[in-house]
Amino acid sequence: MSTWLNHHLQSIKLVLSRMHANLLSTFLICLVIAVAMCLPSLFYLGVDNLSKLTNHMKGETEISLFLKLDVTSDDIGKIDSILAKNIAISQYHLVTKDEAWQQLQAKSKENQNISSAIEQLGKNPLPDAFFIQAKSTDPETLETLRNTLQSIPGVEQAVLNADWAKRLATLLSIGKKLVFFITALLAIMLLVIIGNTVRMQILSQKDEIQVSYLIGATNSFIRMPFLYAGVLYGLFGGLLSILMIAGIIQTFNYSVMEISRLYSSDFSLNMLNIDLYFTIIGLAVTIGWLGSYLAVTRAIRAIKIS
Amino acid sequence: MIQFDQVSKRYPGSDQILKNVSFSINAGEFVYVTGHSGAGKSTLLKLIAATELPTSGTVLIAHQNVSKLKPSAIPFLRRRFGLIFQDHKLLYDRNCFENVILPLRINGVSEPEAAKRVRAALDKVGLLNKEKVMPITLSGGEQQRLAIARAVVSRPSILLADEPTGNLDASYAAEIMAIFQAFNQVGVTVIMSTHDALGMSVDQNRVLHLDHGQLTENPFMQKTLNLNTPPTEKLSS
Repeated sequence: MSTWLNHHLQSIKLVLSRMHANLLSTFLICLVIAVAMCLPSLFYLGVDNLSKLTNHMKGETEISLFLKLDVTSDDIGKIDSILAKNIAISQYHLVTKDEAWQQLQAKSKENQNISSAIEQLGKNPLPDAFFIQAKSTDPETLETLRNTLQSIPGVEQAVLNADWAKRLATLLSIGKKLVFFITALLAIMLLVIIGNTVRMQILSQKDEIQVSYLIGATNSFIRMPFLYAGVLYGLFGGLLSILMIAGIIQTFNYSVMEISRLYSSDFSLNMLNIDLYFTIIGLAVTIGWLGSYLAVTRAIRAIKIS
Repeated sequence: MIQFDQVSKRYPGSDQILKNVSFSINAGEFVYVTGHSGAGKSTLLKLIAATELPTSGTVLIAHQNVSKLKPSAIPFLRRRFGLIFQDHKLLYDRNCFENVILPLRINGVSEPEAAKRVRAALDKVGLLNKEKVMPITLSGGEQQRLAIARAVVSRPSILLADEPTGNLDASYAAEIMAIFQAFNQVGVTVIMSTHDALGMSVDQNRVLHLDHGQLTENPFMQKTLNLNTPPTEKLSS
Protein backbone atom coordinates (compact mmCIF):
# COMPACT_ATOMS: atom_id res chain seq x y z
CA MET A 1 0.00 0.00 0.00
CA SER A 2 2.77 2.42 0.94
CA THR A 3 4.69 1.45 -2.23
CA TRP A 4 1.60 2.17 -4.30
CA LEU A 5 1.05 5.49 -2.54
CA ASN A 6 4.73 6.43 -2.87
CA HIS A 7 4.57 5.77 -6.63
CA HIS A 8 1.56 8.05 -6.98
CA LEU A 9 3.04 10.81 -4.82
CA GLN A 10 6.35 10.62 -6.68
CA SER A 11 4.55 10.76 -10.03
CA ILE A 12 2.49 13.81 -9.07
CA LYS A 13 5.59 15.55 -7.70
CA LEU A 14 7.57 14.71 -10.83
CA VAL A 15 4.83 15.95 -13.17
CA LEU A 16 4.35 19.18 -11.23
CA SER A 17 8.09 19.85 -11.26
CA ARG A 18 8.22 19.18 -15.02
CA MET A 19 5.26 21.50 -15.55
CA HIS A 20 6.94 24.15 -13.42
CA ALA A 21 10.14 23.77 -15.39
CA ASN A 22 8.20 24.24 -18.67
CA LEU A 23 5.77 26.86 -17.46
CA LEU A 24 5.10 28.55 -20.80
CA SER A 25 4.40 25.36 -22.75
CA THR A 26 2.25 24.06 -19.88
CA PHE A 27 0.27 27.30 -19.86
CA LEU A 28 -0.21 27.16 -23.64
CA ILE A 29 -1.53 23.59 -23.53
CA CYS A 30 -3.89 24.54 -20.70
CA LEU A 31 -4.99 27.59 -22.69
CA VAL A 32 -5.81 25.44 -25.72
CA ILE A 33 -7.86 23.13 -23.50
CA ALA A 34 -9.55 26.13 -21.85
CA VAL A 35 -10.54 27.72 -25.16
CA ALA A 36 -11.73 24.40 -26.56
CA MET A 37 -13.86 23.80 -23.46
CA CYS A 38 -15.03 27.41 -23.36
CA LEU A 39 -16.58 27.49 -26.84
CA PRO A 40 -19.18 24.71 -26.45
CA SER A 41 -19.78 25.75 -22.83
CA LEU A 42 -20.70 29.29 -23.83
CA PHE A 43 -22.88 27.98 -26.63
CA TYR A 44 -24.51 25.63 -24.15
CA LEU A 45 -25.05 28.47 -21.70
CA GLY A 46 -26.66 30.54 -24.45
CA VAL A 47 -29.01 27.71 -25.40
CA ASP A 48 -29.73 26.92 -21.75
CA ASN A 49 -30.57 30.50 -20.87
CA LEU A 50 -32.78 30.88 -23.93
CA SER A 51 -34.45 27.63 -23.00
CA LYS A 52 -35.18 28.94 -19.49
CA LEU A 53 -36.50 32.13 -20.99
CA THR A 54 -38.78 30.14 -23.30
CA ASN A 55 -40.06 28.03 -20.41
CA HIS A 56 -40.80 31.21 -18.54
CA MET A 57 -42.68 32.55 -21.54
CA LYS A 58 -44.58 29.29 -22.00
CA GLY A 59 -46.37 30.03 -18.72
CA GLU A 60 -47.67 33.15 -20.29
CA THR A 61 -48.98 31.53 -23.46
CA GLU A 62 -52.61 32.32 -23.87
CA ILE A 63 -55.41 31.83 -26.31
CA SER A 64 -57.10 34.95 -27.58
CA LEU A 65 -60.76 34.33 -28.40
CA PHE A 66 -62.05 37.04 -30.73
CA LEU A 67 -65.86 37.11 -30.99
CA LYS A 68 -67.93 37.98 -34.00
CA LEU A 69 -68.71 41.66 -34.32
CA ASP A 70 -72.48 41.05 -34.13
CA VAL A 71 -72.54 39.02 -30.87
CA THR A 72 -75.01 40.16 -28.24
CA SER A 73 -74.43 40.36 -24.52
CA ASP A 74 -76.51 37.16 -24.16
CA ASP A 75 -74.14 35.39 -26.56
CA ILE A 76 -71.17 36.65 -24.53
CA GLY A 77 -72.82 35.32 -21.37
CA LYS A 78 -73.23 31.86 -22.96
CA ILE A 79 -69.63 31.80 -24.08
CA ASP A 80 -68.57 32.87 -20.60
CA SER A 81 -70.46 29.94 -19.04
CA ILE A 82 -68.93 27.50 -21.57
CA LEU A 83 -65.43 28.75 -20.66
CA ALA A 84 -66.17 28.52 -16.96
CA LYS A 85 -67.06 24.83 -17.32
CA ASN A 86 -63.93 23.93 -19.36
CA ILE A 87 -61.53 22.15 -17.02
CA ALA A 88 -58.57 22.79 -19.32
CA ILE A 89 -58.80 26.49 -18.66
CA SER A 90 -56.96 27.96 -15.73
CA GLN A 91 -58.30 31.50 -15.92
CA TYR A 92 -59.78 33.90 -18.41
CA HIS A 93 -61.06 37.40 -18.67
CA LEU A 94 -63.21 39.38 -21.03
CA VAL A 95 -62.11 42.55 -22.73
CA THR A 96 -65.13 44.16 -24.31
CA LYS A 97 -64.88 46.02 -27.61
CA ASP A 98 -65.31 49.33 -25.76
CA GLU A 99 -62.53 48.54 -23.30
CA ALA A 100 -60.26 47.48 -26.15
CA TRP A 101 -61.06 50.66 -28.05
CA GLN A 102 -60.24 52.82 -25.02
CA GLN A 103 -56.98 50.95 -24.48
CA LEU A 104 -56.04 51.41 -28.12
CA GLN A 105 -56.81 55.10 -28.01
CA ALA A 106 -54.80 55.51 -24.82
CA LYS A 107 -51.80 53.74 -26.32
CA SER A 108 -52.08 55.61 -29.63
CA LYS A 109 -51.46 58.91 -27.88
CA GLU A 110 -47.80 57.91 -27.62
CA ASN A 111 -47.54 57.56 -31.41
CA GLN A 112 -48.77 60.34 -33.72
CA ASN A 113 -49.13 58.09 -36.79
CA ILE A 114 -51.32 55.51 -35.02
CA SER A 115 -53.33 58.27 -33.39
CA SER A 116 -54.20 59.88 -36.73
CA ALA A 117 -55.01 56.47 -38.25
CA ILE A 118 -57.46 55.72 -35.42
CA GLU A 119 -59.13 59.10 -35.82
CA GLN A 120 -59.73 58.28 -39.48
CA LEU A 121 -61.51 55.02 -38.57
CA GLY A 122 -64.42 56.91 -37.15
CA LYS A 123 -66.03 53.96 -35.34
CA ASN A 124 -64.75 51.08 -33.17
CA PRO A 125 -63.64 48.15 -35.40
CA LEU A 126 -62.55 45.93 -32.52
CA PRO A 127 -64.44 42.79 -31.42
CA ASP A 128 -65.18 41.61 -27.91
CA ALA A 129 -62.50 39.16 -26.83
CA PHE A 130 -61.75 36.61 -24.14
CA PHE A 131 -58.11 36.09 -23.11
CA ILE A 132 -57.66 32.56 -21.82
CA GLN A 133 -54.87 31.02 -19.80
CA ALA A 134 -54.72 27.23 -20.19
CA LYS A 135 -53.65 24.88 -17.43
CA SER A 136 -51.26 22.98 -19.68
CA THR A 137 -48.28 24.41 -21.52
CA ASP A 138 -48.02 21.39 -23.81
CA PRO A 139 -48.27 22.59 -27.44
CA GLU A 140 -50.54 19.71 -28.53
CA THR A 141 -52.96 20.18 -25.62
CA LEU A 142 -53.06 23.90 -26.33
CA GLU A 143 -53.80 23.23 -29.98
CA THR A 144 -56.70 20.90 -29.04
CA LEU A 145 -58.10 23.52 -26.68
CA ARG A 146 -57.79 26.16 -29.38
CA ASN A 147 -59.80 23.97 -31.79
CA THR A 148 -62.48 23.40 -29.14
CA LEU A 149 -62.78 27.09 -28.46
CA GLN A 150 -62.85 27.88 -32.16
CA SER A 151 -65.98 25.75 -32.54
CA ILE A 152 -68.03 27.69 -29.95
CA PRO A 153 -70.88 29.57 -31.64
CA GLY A 154 -70.19 33.31 -31.82
CA VAL A 155 -66.45 32.90 -31.93
CA GLU A 156 -64.80 34.49 -34.94
CA GLN A 157 -61.22 33.32 -34.31
CA ALA A 158 -59.26 31.53 -31.60
CA VAL A 159 -55.58 32.49 -31.72
CA LEU A 160 -52.94 30.54 -29.89
CA ASN A 161 -50.11 32.94 -29.07
CA ALA A 162 -47.46 30.25 -28.72
CA ASP A 163 -46.33 29.78 -32.27
CA TRP A 164 -43.19 31.80 -31.76
CA ALA A 165 -42.39 29.79 -28.64
CA LYS A 166 -42.75 26.55 -30.61
CA ARG A 167 -40.44 27.85 -33.29
CA LEU A 168 -37.93 28.95 -30.67
CA ALA A 169 -38.16 25.56 -28.94
CA THR A 170 -37.37 23.87 -32.25
CA LEU A 171 -34.41 26.17 -32.79
CA LEU A 172 -33.22 25.45 -29.26
CA SER A 173 -33.46 21.72 -29.90
CA ILE A 174 -31.25 22.21 -32.97
CA GLY A 175 -28.94 24.34 -30.83
CA LYS A 176 -28.63 21.58 -28.22
CA LYS A 177 -27.71 19.06 -30.90
CA LEU A 178 -25.16 21.52 -32.26
CA VAL A 179 -23.64 21.89 -28.77
CA PHE A 180 -23.30 18.11 -28.57
CA PHE A 181 -21.55 17.82 -31.93
CA ILE A 182 -19.28 20.82 -31.33
CA THR A 183 -18.32 19.35 -27.95
CA ALA A 184 -17.63 15.96 -29.53
CA LEU A 185 -15.48 17.50 -32.27
CA LEU A 186 -13.53 19.65 -29.82
CA ALA A 187 -13.09 16.66 -27.52
CA ILE A 188 -11.52 14.73 -30.40
CA MET A 189 -9.29 17.72 -31.14
CA LEU A 190 -8.22 17.86 -27.48
CA LEU A 191 -7.53 14.12 -27.45
CA VAL A 192 -5.19 14.58 -30.40
CA ILE A 193 -3.48 17.66 -28.90
CA ILE A 194 -2.97 16.13 -25.45
CA GLY A 195 -1.98 12.78 -26.96
CA ASN A 196 0.58 14.45 -29.17
CA THR A 197 1.97 16.55 -26.30
CA VAL A 198 2.37 13.46 -24.14
CA ARG A 199 3.89 11.52 -27.04
CA MET A 200 6.50 14.27 -27.47
CA GLN A 201 7.24 14.13 -23.74
CA ILE A 202 7.68 10.37 -23.94
CA LEU A 203 10.09 10.72 -26.85
CA SER A 204 12.09 13.36 -24.97
CA GLN A 205 12.31 11.00 -21.99
CA LYS A 206 13.01 7.87 -23.98
CA ASP A 207 16.43 7.31 -22.36
CA GLU A 208 14.95 7.57 -18.89
CA ILE A 209 12.19 5.14 -19.81
CA GLN A 210 14.68 2.64 -21.23
CA VAL A 211 16.91 2.84 -18.15
CA SER A 212 13.86 2.53 -15.89
CA TYR A 213 12.76 -0.62 -17.71
CA LEU A 214 16.25 -2.06 -17.36
CA ILE A 215 16.28 -1.56 -13.62
CA GLY A 216 12.88 -3.07 -13.03
CA ALA A 217 10.21 -0.50 -13.77
CA THR A 218 6.77 -1.86 -14.59
CA ASN A 219 4.57 -0.51 -17.38
CA SER A 220 2.29 1.13 -14.84
CA PHE A 221 5.27 2.90 -13.23
CA ILE A 222 6.34 4.25 -16.64
CA ARG A 223 2.79 5.18 -17.57
CA MET A 224 1.80 6.86 -14.31
CA PRO A 225 3.54 10.27 -14.64
CA PHE A 226 2.26 10.69 -18.19
CA LEU A 227 -1.29 9.87 -17.12
CA TYR A 228 -1.01 12.38 -14.31
CA ALA A 229 0.33 14.91 -16.82
CA GLY A 230 -2.80 14.42 -18.96
CA VAL A 231 -5.09 14.64 -15.95
CA LEU A 232 -3.38 17.80 -14.66
CA TYR A 233 -3.43 19.44 -18.10
CA GLY A 234 -7.18 18.71 -18.16
CA LEU A 235 -7.69 19.98 -14.62
CA PHE A 236 -5.79 23.23 -15.11
CA GLY A 237 -7.33 23.72 -18.57
CA GLY A 238 -10.80 23.14 -17.11
CA LEU A 239 -10.22 25.63 -14.28
CA LEU A 240 -8.90 28.20 -16.73
CA SER A 241 -11.94 27.58 -18.90
CA ILE A 242 -14.28 28.26 -15.95
CA LEU A 243 -12.49 31.53 -15.25
CA MET A 244 -12.87 32.53 -18.89
CA ILE A 245 -16.58 31.60 -18.95
CA ALA A 246 -17.25 33.47 -15.70
CA GLY A 247 -15.44 36.51 -17.10
CA ILE A 248 -17.38 36.42 -20.38
CA ILE A 249 -20.75 35.93 -18.61
CA GLN A 250 -19.96 38.80 -16.27
CA THR A 251 -19.17 41.01 -19.26
CA PHE A 252 -22.41 40.10 -21.06
CA ASN A 253 -24.62 40.01 -18.00
CA TYR A 254 -24.74 43.79 -17.67
CA SER A 255 -26.06 44.17 -21.23
CA VAL A 256 -28.53 41.29 -20.83
CA MET A 257 -29.91 42.81 -17.63
CA GLU A 258 -30.27 46.17 -19.37
CA ILE A 259 -32.32 44.59 -22.17
CA SER A 260 -34.36 42.55 -19.67
CA ARG A 261 -35.20 45.69 -17.77
CA LEU A 262 -36.58 47.24 -20.97
CA TYR A 263 -38.97 44.26 -21.17
CA SER A 264 -39.87 44.58 -17.49
CA SER A 265 -38.06 41.36 -16.69
CA ASP A 266 -35.48 40.54 -14.06
CA PHE A 267 -33.85 37.94 -16.30
CA SER A 268 -30.06 37.62 -16.07
CA LEU A 269 -27.45 35.06 -17.12
CA ASN A 270 -26.71 32.49 -14.45
CA MET A 271 -23.02 32.79 -13.51
CA LEU A 272 -22.91 30.17 -10.80
CA ASN A 273 -23.75 27.11 -12.89
CA ILE A 274 -22.05 24.53 -10.63
CA ASP A 275 -23.26 21.55 -12.68
CA LEU A 276 -21.74 23.03 -15.82
CA TYR A 277 -18.45 23.79 -14.08
CA PHE A 278 -18.18 20.26 -12.69
CA THR A 279 -19.00 18.90 -16.14
CA ILE A 280 -16.29 21.04 -17.73
CA ILE A 281 -13.66 19.87 -15.24
CA GLY A 282 -14.81 16.25 -15.41
CA LEU A 283 -14.79 16.28 -19.20
CA ALA A 284 -11.40 18.02 -19.43
CA VAL A 285 -9.82 15.62 -16.92
CA THR A 286 -11.31 12.59 -18.69
CA ILE A 287 -10.10 13.81 -22.09
CA GLY A 288 -6.65 14.53 -20.61
CA TRP A 289 -6.43 11.08 -19.09
CA LEU A 290 -7.70 9.30 -22.20
CA GLY A 291 -5.41 11.24 -24.56
CA SER A 292 -2.40 10.44 -22.38
CA TYR A 293 -3.40 6.81 -21.95
CA LEU A 294 -3.72 6.24 -25.68
CA ALA A 295 -0.44 8.04 -26.40
CA VAL A 296 1.59 6.40 -23.65
CA THR A 297 0.28 2.90 -24.33
CA ARG A 298 1.17 3.22 -28.01
CA ALA A 299 4.53 4.88 -27.37
CA ILE A 300 5.88 2.52 -24.70
CA ARG A 301 5.01 -0.46 -26.88
CA ALA A 302 7.43 0.97 -29.43
CA ILE A 303 10.25 1.50 -26.93
CA LYS A 304 12.72 -1.37 -26.98
CA ILE A 305 15.15 -1.91 -24.17
CA SER A 306 18.69 -2.94 -24.86
CA MET B 1 21.20 -19.09 -8.11
CA ILE B 2 21.67 -18.77 -11.87
CA GLN B 3 21.50 -21.81 -14.13
CA PHE B 4 21.82 -22.00 -17.91
CA ASP B 5 20.90 -25.33 -19.44
CA GLN B 6 21.61 -25.82 -23.17
CA VAL B 7 20.76 -22.19 -23.84
CA SER B 8 20.87 -20.93 -27.41
CA LYS B 9 20.02 -17.48 -28.68
CA ARG B 10 19.45 -16.34 -32.21
CA TYR B 11 18.18 -12.89 -33.16
CA PRO B 12 15.85 -12.75 -36.15
CA GLY B 13 17.87 -12.49 -39.34
CA SER B 14 21.23 -13.14 -37.69
CA ASP B 15 23.57 -16.02 -36.88
CA GLN B 16 23.24 -17.92 -33.65
CA ILE B 17 24.77 -15.75 -30.93
CA LEU B 18 24.86 -18.40 -28.17
CA LYS B 19 25.04 -22.13 -28.79
CA ASN B 20 23.98 -24.69 -26.18
CA VAL B 21 25.50 -22.82 -23.27
CA SER B 22 25.25 -24.48 -19.88
CA PHE B 23 26.67 -23.29 -16.58
CA SER B 24 25.58 -22.37 -13.10
CA ILE B 25 26.59 -19.57 -10.79
CA ASN B 26 26.21 -19.77 -7.05
CA ALA B 27 25.46 -16.94 -4.66
CA GLY B 28 28.51 -14.89 -3.71
CA GLU B 29 30.63 -15.84 -6.72
CA PHE B 30 32.65 -13.37 -8.78
CA VAL B 31 32.42 -14.48 -12.39
CA TYR B 32 34.12 -12.99 -15.42
CA VAL B 33 32.50 -13.54 -18.80
CA THR B 34 35.24 -13.16 -21.35
CA GLY B 35 35.54 -13.47 -25.10
CA HIS B 36 36.23 -11.50 -28.23
CA SER B 37 33.86 -8.85 -29.56
CA GLY B 38 30.70 -10.54 -30.81
CA ALA B 39 31.35 -13.71 -28.81
CA GLY B 40 27.97 -13.35 -27.07
CA LYS B 41 29.01 -11.87 -23.72
CA SER B 42 26.41 -9.09 -23.71
CA THR B 43 23.71 -11.46 -24.93
CA LEU B 44 24.52 -13.80 -22.06
CA LEU B 45 24.14 -10.96 -19.56
CA LYS B 46 20.89 -9.85 -21.22
CA LEU B 47 19.54 -13.37 -20.82
CA ILE B 48 20.43 -13.29 -17.12
CA ALA B 49 18.79 -9.87 -16.73
CA ALA B 50 15.74 -11.13 -18.67
CA THR B 51 15.96 -8.30 -21.17
CA GLU B 52 16.16 -11.09 -23.76
CA LEU B 53 14.65 -14.55 -23.71
CA PRO B 54 16.46 -17.68 -24.95
CA THR B 55 15.56 -19.17 -28.32
CA SER B 56 15.98 -22.62 -26.77
CA GLY B 57 17.16 -24.06 -23.49
CA THR B 58 16.37 -23.00 -19.95
CA VAL B 59 17.48 -20.00 -17.92
CA LEU B 60 16.74 -20.34 -14.23
CA ILE B 61 17.11 -17.37 -11.94
CA ALA B 62 16.51 -18.23 -8.29
CA HIS B 63 14.68 -21.36 -9.46
CA GLN B 64 12.39 -19.36 -11.75
CA ASN B 65 12.31 -20.28 -15.42
CA VAL B 66 12.63 -16.91 -17.13
CA SER B 67 10.91 -18.10 -20.33
CA LYS B 68 7.84 -19.13 -18.37
CA LEU B 69 7.50 -15.94 -16.38
CA LYS B 70 4.55 -13.68 -17.13
CA PRO B 71 5.69 -10.41 -18.77
CA SER B 72 4.33 -8.55 -15.73
CA ALA B 73 6.65 -10.57 -13.42
CA ILE B 74 9.86 -9.78 -15.32
CA PRO B 75 10.35 -6.24 -13.90
CA PHE B 76 10.25 -7.72 -10.41
CA LEU B 77 12.87 -10.29 -11.40
CA ARG B 78 15.08 -7.49 -12.75
CA ARG B 79 14.95 -5.73 -9.40
CA ARG B 80 17.12 -8.55 -8.04
CA PHE B 81 19.95 -7.27 -10.24
CA GLY B 82 22.13 -4.22 -10.24
CA LEU B 83 22.96 -3.46 -13.86
CA ILE B 84 26.09 -1.62 -14.97
CA PHE B 85 26.82 -0.82 -18.59
CA GLN B 86 29.88 0.17 -20.57
CA ASP B 87 28.14 3.40 -21.64
CA HIS B 88 26.89 3.99 -18.06
CA LYS B 89 23.32 4.74 -19.23
CA LEU B 90 23.10 7.71 -16.89
CA LEU B 91 20.44 10.39 -17.17
CA TYR B 92 22.38 13.48 -18.11
CA ASP B 93 19.53 15.88 -17.39
CA ARG B 94 19.47 14.81 -13.73
CA ASN B 95 22.07 15.35 -11.05
CA CYS B 96 23.95 12.49 -9.38
CA PHE B 97 21.44 12.21 -6.55
CA GLU B 98 18.49 11.99 -8.95
CA ASN B 99 20.27 9.33 -11.01
CA VAL B 100 20.96 7.12 -8.03
CA ILE B 101 17.50 7.47 -6.48
CA LEU B 102 15.73 6.13 -9.61
CA PRO B 103 15.75 2.39 -8.63
CA LEU B 104 14.44 3.26 -5.18
CA ARG B 105 11.59 5.24 -6.70
CA ILE B 106 10.80 2.24 -8.89
CA ASN B 107 10.77 0.10 -5.73
CA GLY B 108 8.44 2.59 -4.06
CA VAL B 109 10.83 3.43 -1.21
CA SER B 110 9.74 6.52 0.72
CA GLU B 111 11.68 9.71 -0.04
CA PRO B 112 13.40 10.12 3.37
CA GLU B 113 14.55 6.47 3.39
CA ALA B 114 15.58 6.71 -0.27
CA ALA B 115 17.63 9.86 0.38
CA LYS B 116 19.53 8.08 3.18
CA ARG B 117 20.27 5.10 0.98
CA VAL B 118 21.34 7.24 -1.97
CA ARG B 119 23.87 9.09 0.19
CA ALA B 120 25.16 5.77 1.55
CA ALA B 121 25.59 4.42 -2.01
CA LEU B 122 27.32 7.61 -3.17
CA ASP B 123 29.56 7.38 -0.13
CA LYS B 124 30.53 3.80 -1.00
CA VAL B 125 31.73 4.85 -4.45
CA GLY B 126 33.37 8.06 -3.20
CA LEU B 127 30.91 10.52 -4.76
CA LEU B 128 29.09 11.79 -1.68
CA ASN B 129 30.39 15.30 -2.20
CA LYS B 130 29.00 15.34 -5.75
CA GLU B 131 25.34 14.55 -5.22
CA LYS B 132 24.17 17.86 -6.74
CA VAL B 133 26.62 17.67 -9.64
CA MET B 134 25.40 16.87 -13.16
CA PRO B 135 26.91 13.60 -14.49
CA ILE B 136 28.24 15.27 -17.65
CA THR B 137 30.77 17.17 -15.54
CA LEU B 138 32.19 13.93 -14.07
CA SER B 139 35.18 12.02 -15.45
CA GLY B 140 34.66 8.63 -17.13
CA GLY B 141 35.67 6.79 -13.98
CA GLU B 142 33.39 8.91 -11.82
CA GLN B 143 30.48 8.35 -14.20
CA GLN B 144 31.02 4.61 -13.95
CA ARG B 145 31.20 4.86 -10.16
CA LEU B 146 27.93 6.77 -10.26
CA ALA B 147 26.43 3.97 -12.36
CA ILE B 148 27.65 1.48 -9.75
CA ALA B 149 26.05 3.55 -6.99
CA ARG B 150 22.77 3.42 -8.92
CA ALA B 151 23.17 -0.35 -9.35
CA VAL B 152 23.82 -1.07 -5.67
CA VAL B 153 21.48 1.44 -4.05
CA SER B 154 18.56 -1.00 -4.00
CA ARG B 155 20.85 -3.65 -2.41
CA PRO B 156 20.62 -6.25 -5.18
CA SER B 157 21.98 -9.73 -4.59
CA ILE B 158 23.56 -9.84 -8.07
CA LEU B 159 25.59 -7.23 -9.92
CA LEU B 160 25.65 -7.60 -13.70
CA ALA B 161 28.32 -5.46 -15.33
CA ASP B 162 28.65 -5.36 -19.10
CA GLU B 163 32.24 -4.27 -19.90
CA PRO B 164 32.24 -1.68 -17.12
CA THR B 165 35.87 -0.78 -17.66
CA GLY B 166 35.75 -0.88 -21.45
CA ASN B 167 35.92 2.88 -21.92
CA LEU B 168 38.22 3.63 -18.99
CA ASP B 169 41.97 4.01 -18.75
CA ALA B 170 43.95 1.62 -16.56
CA SER B 171 43.86 3.69 -13.35
CA TYR B 172 40.08 4.23 -13.50
CA ALA B 173 39.57 0.56 -14.46
CA ALA B 174 41.52 -0.57 -11.39
CA GLU B 175 39.39 1.75 -9.25
CA ILE B 176 36.19 0.22 -10.60
CA MET B 177 37.48 -3.34 -10.21
CA ALA B 178 38.34 -2.61 -6.59
CA ILE B 179 34.78 -1.46 -5.97
CA PHE B 180 33.37 -4.67 -7.49
CA GLN B 181 35.74 -6.77 -5.40
CA ALA B 182 34.60 -4.90 -2.29
CA PHE B 183 30.94 -5.64 -3.02
CA ASN B 184 31.73 -9.27 -3.74
CA GLN B 185 33.50 -9.56 -0.40
CA VAL B 186 30.29 -8.64 1.40
CA GLY B 187 28.39 -11.42 -0.39
CA VAL B 188 27.13 -9.78 -3.58
CA THR B 189 27.35 -12.03 -6.64
CA VAL B 190 29.23 -10.21 -9.39
CA ILE B 191 29.03 -11.23 -13.04
CA MET B 192 31.17 -9.08 -15.26
CA SER B 193 31.75 -9.31 -18.97
CA THR B 194 35.06 -8.10 -20.38
CA HIS B 195 37.18 -8.62 -23.44
CA ASP B 196 40.18 -7.22 -21.64
CA ALA B 197 42.20 -9.58 -19.46
CA LEU B 198 43.94 -6.66 -17.79
CA GLY B 199 42.76 -6.12 -14.26
CA MET B 200 41.11 -9.51 -13.95
CA SER B 201 42.01 -11.27 -10.73
CA VAL B 202 41.58 -14.70 -12.25
CA ASP B 203 43.39 -16.47 -9.46
CA GLN B 204 40.49 -15.84 -7.10
CA ASN B 205 37.53 -15.65 -9.47
CA ARG B 206 35.81 -17.79 -11.99
CA VAL B 207 35.94 -17.21 -15.75
CA LEU B 208 33.35 -18.16 -18.35
CA HIS B 209 35.03 -17.81 -21.72
CA LEU B 210 32.88 -17.52 -24.84
CA ASP B 211 34.14 -18.19 -28.32
CA HIS B 212 31.67 -17.66 -31.15
CA GLY B 213 28.76 -18.27 -28.83
CA GLN B 214 30.11 -21.38 -27.16
CA LEU B 215 31.70 -21.80 -23.76
CA THR B 216 35.27 -22.97 -24.24
CA GLU B 217 38.27 -23.67 -22.13
CA ASN B 218 39.41 -20.69 -20.16
CA PRO B 219 42.42 -19.18 -21.83
CA PHE B 220 43.47 -17.32 -18.70
CA MET B 221 43.54 -20.17 -16.24
CA GLN B 222 41.97 -23.56 -15.64
CA LYS B 223 39.40 -22.51 -13.08
CA THR B 224 36.33 -23.24 -15.10
CA LEU B 225 35.07 -26.50 -13.75
CA ASN B 226 31.53 -25.81 -14.82
CA LEU B 227 32.18 -25.02 -18.46
CA ASN B 228 29.71 -26.79 -20.72
CA THR B 229 28.60 -28.90 -17.82
CA PRO B 230 24.85 -29.10 -17.41
CA PRO B 231 23.71 -27.79 -14.03
CA THR B 232 22.39 -31.21 -13.04
CA GLU B 233 25.78 -32.81 -13.59
CA LYS B 234 27.46 -30.03 -11.66
CA LEU B 235 25.14 -30.45 -8.75
CA SER B 236 25.75 -34.22 -8.62
CA SER B 237 29.53 -33.88 -8.92
